[in-house]
Amino acid sequence: MTTTSRNRHKESGEPHWLEWGTGIVSAILILAMIAWIAGVSILREEVPPRFHSTVTAVQPVHGGYHVGFEIVNEGTITAAAVVVRGEIVEGGQVVEAGEVTFDYIPATSKSSGGMLFLQDPAGREVRVRAVSYTDP
Amino acid sequence: MLRAASEQHNDRARRFVVGMGRGAAGALIFGMPMLMTMEFWYLGFYISHERLLLLLFANMPLLVMLARHIGFEETFTWREAVRDAIIACGIALVISAAVLTLIGNLKPGMPASEILGKVAIQVVPASIGALLGRSQFGGKRDEEAEQEESSRSTSYGQELFMMAAGALFLSLSVAPTEEVILISFKMTPWHTLAMLVLSILLMHGFVYAVAFRGTHELTEETPWWHAFVRFTLPGYIVAMLISLYVLWTFDRLDDMAPTQILMSAIVLSFPGALGAAAARLIL
Repeated sequence: MTTTSRNRHKESGEPHWLEWGTGIVSAILILAMIAWIAGVSILREEVPPRFHSTVTAVQPVHGGYHVGFEIVNEGTITAAAVVVRGEIVEGGQVVEAGEVTFDYIPATSKSSGGMLFLQDPAGREVRVRAVSYTDP
Repeated sequence: MLRAASEQHNDRARRFVVGMGRGAAGALIFGMPMLMTMEFWYLGFYISHERLLLLLFANMPLLVMLARHIGFEETFTWREAVRDAIIACGIALVISAAVLTLIGNLKPGMPASEILGKVAIQVVPASIGALLGRSQFGGKRDEEAEQEESSRSTSYGQELFMMAAGALFLSLSVAPTEEVILISFKMTPWHTLAMLVLSILLMHGFVYAVAFRGTHELTEETPWWHAFVRFTLPGYIVAMLISLYVLWTFDRLDDMAPTQILMSAIVLSFPGALGAAAARLIL
């Protein structure tokens, strides 16, 4: 409890046990956060961004085909301005290509996006891969 | 007799208009930084409308608590607090729509959902401003309160509520910008740890050490760490939870790894914690 008089607040000397309870729980939570982050920084080695992508959906849309994909950054460093290139390959030849840029793909996190192709990717190979990035 | 009655009526009407004007001033001052931030305009159409609605609903009890807390007079009831909160929302709505129209952001022919989204997101900070404006800028009330040597008690829950309001206001104004996540990506875990510790120290220092008007005091025999454990640490957790909530509202956490989530929450809690501490001093 806090009593305010003349714009001065005074904390009561004999607080309710609930105040102590909340305080102790908060202290534990904060210590846990500190431990977590310290643990991460000590244990985790720095792995530069490594990308792994999977095509999640192909569906016909007006005037072409929509290819949805997910891309995972398996590194422990965040990548910025990640350029992802998608290609439809037939018989070793690239028949159509598209590009998309992600602002960020955080460390060990996932992002998703889509590309629009004119040709039907069905029966052909669809390659989606990251080609470049910058350090944030 | 008739004349006196009409004079009284006029006086009331005048006070009502003045109150509205103060509310509008508060909404403008508090809302302007956000009204002129690009990310807030875009949020209007990419934020999920369910989350926006939830934010508006969550804002209401906060406003009611603020109204109740600020209303110095003892006669101030819950009903009046609810009325004040609703008026504050109304003022915020009108002011936000007017400013967004003025800066060419709302145009006829825009889809209704876009207009609604753009205005609704601004209502939250502007309504806090409107509420503070109506009460804090009203000089008379403050003087009276000081003369009366008024003494009031804030329950522990209310104290935490005030901190939540302060944290919400500050983190809301920063969260939609790209900088928050960019900062968390630039920082190493050690930076984050330093920021966490500094946030807590600043919070404690603001409220107890630096003698601002409204500074909290401890009774002589209470050691400093009592207040630290009972108020500052829970206050930080409140700021942290508000940060997580705000980041979630703005779709900043989707598909992020837990460590990254924690790091961006700590970054946003930095302004949030200062807001929480300031709220304890000002309110």
